[in-house]
Amino acid sequence: MAGWSSLTAGSVSDCVETIDTCQKNGGFPETNHVGSVKDGVDFDEGDQMGRLRCIFNRVLAVFLKEIGDGGGFVRPVPAVIGDRQPVDLFKLFCVVKDRGGIDSISKNILWSFVANELGFDQEAMCSVKLIYFKYLNELEKWFREICETRSSGNGDLHPLSSELVREFGGLLSGWPERKGKSDGEVHLVSGECNGDDDEKVCNYDQSDILISLSSLNKKENDRKRKREYLVGMLNWVVQVAKQPNDPSIGAIPGPTKWKEHRSDDECWVQALRAKEALLIRRNVNSKTEECLQQKKLKMHPLLYEDNIVAGRQCSGRFRCSERLPHSVKSQSCPCCHKKEVENDSMEKAPAEVDLLSTDATSEENPHEKDVSIGAHAQADVPEWTGVASESDIKWLGTRVWPLKREEDGPLSETDLIGQGRQDKCGCGFPGSVACFRFHITEARMKLKRELGSLFYHWRFDRMGEEVSLRWTAEEEKRFKDLVKLNHSNSPFFEGNTSNSSSFWDSASKWFLRKTREDLVSYYFNVFVVQRRSYQNRATPKTIDSDDDVTELGSLSNGFRREIVEVSANSLPCSLNQQSTDFD
Amino acid sequence: MNSEGGASLPSGPDAKKRRVSYFYEPTVGDYYYGQGHPMKPHRIRMAHNLVVHYGLHRRMEINRPFPAGPIDIRRFHADDYVDFLASVTPETLADSVHSRHLKRFNVGEDCPVFDGLFGFCQASAGGSIGAAVKLNRQDADIALNWAGGLHHAKKAEASGFCYVNDIVLGILELLKVHRRVLYVDIDVHHGDGVEEAFYTTDRVMTVSFHKFGDFFPGTGHIKDVGVGTGKNYALNVPLNDGMDDESFRSLFRPVIQKVMEMYQPDAVVLQCGADSLSGDRLGCFNLSVKGHADCLRFLRSFNVPLMVLGGGGYTIRNVARCWCYETAVAVDVEPDNKLPYNEYYEYFGPDYTLHIAPSNMENLNTPKDLEKIRNALLEQLTRIPHTPSVPFQTTPPTREVPEEAEEKMDERPKPRIWNGEDYDSDPEDDKHWTKFSTPARQHAVKSEMQDEADEMEEDKKHHLHHHTSC
Repeated sequence: MAGWSSLTAGSVSDCVETIDTCQKNGGFPETNHVGSVKDGVDFDEGDQMGRLRCIFNRVLAVFLKEIGDGGGFVRPVPAVIGDRQPVDLFKLFCVVKDRGGIDSISKNILWSFVANELGFDQEAMCSVKLIYFKYLNELEKWFREICETRSSGNGDLHPLSSELVREFGGLLSGWPERKGKSDGEVHLVSGECNGDDDEKVCNYDQSDILISLSSLNKKENDRKRKREYLVGMLNWVVQVAKQPNDPSIGAIPGPTKWKEHRSDDECWVQALRAKEALLIRRNVNSKTEECLQQKKLKMHPLLYEDNIVAGRQCSGRFRCSERLPHSVKSQSCPCCHKKEVENDSMEKAPAEVDLLSTDATSEENPHEKDVSIGAHAQADVPEWTGVASESDIKWLGTRVWPLKREEDGPLSETDLIGQGRQDKCGCGFPGSVACFRFHITEARMKLKRELGSLFYHWRFDRMGEEVSLRWTAEEEKRFKDLVKLNHSNSPFFEGNTSNSSSFWDSASKWFLRKTREDLVSYYFNVFVVQRRSYQNRATPKTIDSDDDVTELGSLSNGFRREIVEVSANSLPCSLNQQSTDFD
Repeated sequence: MNSEGGASLPSGPDAKKRRVSYFYEPTVGDYYYGQGHPMKPHRIRMAHNLVVHYGLHRRMEINRPFPAGPIDIRRFHADDYVDFLASVTPETLADSVHSRHLKRFNVGEDCPVFDGLFGFCQASAGGSIGAAVKLNRQDADIALNWAGGLHHAKKAEASGFCYVNDIVLGILELLKVHRRVLYVDIDVHHGDGVEEAFYTTDRVMTVSFHKFGDFFPGTGHIKDVGVGTGKNYALNVPLNDGMDDESFRSLFRPVIQKVMEMYQPDAVVLQCGADSLSGDRLGCFNLSVKGHADCLRFLRSFNVPLMVLGGGGYTIRNVARCWCYETAVAVDVEPDNKLPYNEYYEYFGPDYTLHIAPSNMENLNTPKDLEKIRNALLEQLTRIPHTPSVPFQTTPPTREVPEEAEEKMDERPKPRIWNGEDYDSDPEDDKHWTKFSTPARQHAVKSEMQDEADEMEEDKKHHLHHHTSC
């Protein structure tokens, strides 16, 4: 993970080369963009924002690539919602940050505000939230982490972070304060973070970003020098590694004298600082942030929406990167960093310790979570007396099967238990929607004969597409339209339950005579069945019964009475014209 | 696993018929957590639908559960928590009475307040308590409740889509009649609620196989073994992504075998969370339906009263497949792979088969990891003060239980069904055991265990300290 951040930091520096050539429209500049060199004109505000935006976009591009690489899936930019309206990611990031970050926004139900700020209407809030989560959440975490590293009182600034600090100015500060803003349950940010001694605290205002940015400009030359400096240091390290005895390396004093050395000029001093900083980084990550994060090991609702089709690893990676974005320990979840783990057995060691450790390092590797002990946690288990106590027979419930004598269906049930469908079918278009409906109806009739009233007790009459018989064609169409209408604003989609009733609430308004239960029942028994039947035939490789987001698609005109009323014995299904639905 | 393939249940001791009781609440499929929520009670209806279309109901007794009342739920859960659950509705959510409790009881995010919330909890808990009573009364050998298995619920806190811990309630009921109850959990998530509830007792042993590391709920470290009287009676099997059938079996069978030998439970509860299946929306294992059901098959072979519960499972078509197949395993039927036509047939396309092929995802559990875990667990099991009747043995017990053991067994009620003879189910198990216990291997295991025993001793001081300090 340290590799990740350093890589990203390096890329930030690289991207400075092209900063001045960037447009401020939010699109990413091409890496090979040949631009004019800044010609010394004073920046006005817009330029400065544009500049910051540029840096931001570059970093984000690297970031997205970085998170995406393992699964081979990189999120497309620019991000769009609804009718392909682009979302200004930079602005989104700023707005969310100003309100204290994603957790604070979610907690205080501010997503509609965010959507408004970006120029969308309220209905877009879910989409905006999703976009933030998919594109920017990781970045936010990383920024927090940098911020935390800087403010954890480690005296010397992290060299890599300080590079970034200069680049980002206000975007980096301001995170810790969010603690006060959130309602006190989530504390991603360490308590040590309160003193921001060497950086002024940002007031969540873009003007602060600009202030920091102006200092950025002043320091620009300095920064460039610094970068060369690091290159020099890295070259030196490479040289040492290749030829340790080369006299050109120069003399390095013994470790005891390292601390006295104040000058930054010598390569070895820089190398040591870098090493130290990297180590600090690891510690901060593994000790502070991780513990804090794990106090809130909740599944983020949006995780549910990850597309399985895009690959298990993709969602797996996403899930764990969500929880522990930048810690050493995330190596124990190598789905995130498969390559690292494969290539580097050293890196894998912590994972083993973590899962299996039987050595005495429990202090070093605290368990993720402890089991609570006490009357508030354990069940009251009585001592074994050897005497069995009686159970209330009410618990046996109501026996519904086997049926009572008088209700017994024909005893001539010939089907074997466990038998599946017949191989052959006489339908004109075997495998068509109509063919299946016919056989399903057949199976239902057989079942009804066997179960008698139990068929209704078990509510088989309310299972499957037959549910649509309680609906008029008009109502069905309205339902589908409503779904379609809402789809552009992610209807079934929002995982956050505080908003979850939106679709059903609006649906209830449309269907005054339907209870909510009716609507949900229609959804599972008819709507999903039809959508799935479409998927099975049109996109058999990307099926999903559980994703409420997928756009409605249906091959047929719905389930019609005539099919249900077909007698199981009389009509060969080849007569059924519905199979032309397939076109 | 592979050699077993699609073969039907082998004849042999395992093929014995069991009296199976199955609890189903007909309205369960209509409960709805909210849009976008991965937990869908509809999957239980889908499973039931498949069960009936396969005709499996003809081999069972089926009951509609009696809904558990607040008093019954209070046998485990805190009074104020139960009051809250029983009274809160989406409409009254904003009332000051309720809103101030939301955080405290962790209701709202993962565990939303939805229409009929308490009714759902009542059905789930009623089914599991009913299953326990069935076993207590010896009316059944196996009792199933797919609406149960909500293993994350805590005494006064909802968690991970679970509000009322039907498992704990069911086990408490079993403990009225059974001296020792074994709880086995194969959900991809750690069975933290059940573990915590029985963390300090030796009357319930909990064994959970789960993904560990950056994963909900974050508990279930291999070194969490229980506290006080319950020490060593909690067993945790931490696993990594991509567990496949073979790897799972290579841990499950020897560990459970040993647990059965050492602990000799009078009843077993198996939580069959189906999110450990390949392709689950939230899980990250790679088990096939057969591999998942092998756990049930194995436990069933011990002839101990067995309660089988649902749990997680978020790719609902696979959940229905899995629980239908496991119902078939319980009633000893090998169903056709080609699904019968049913109301939810289209859910199972485009192949319309019962079984699913695991994906080609990488198994991040190396054989070395697995062996290390297995050895550590088997070692932990040697720490259980084995009952006088069960002499310590690293070899599988002979088919005849020694006579002296038989006598001392009188001190406790005899296992009702299991007579200590035929835990061994199919010929392949023998092979497995032979492989595992060749003299050389045995020696290796023993010496390794000794070393680790010493280390563990050291370790536990830390561990205990850790707990008391919290």
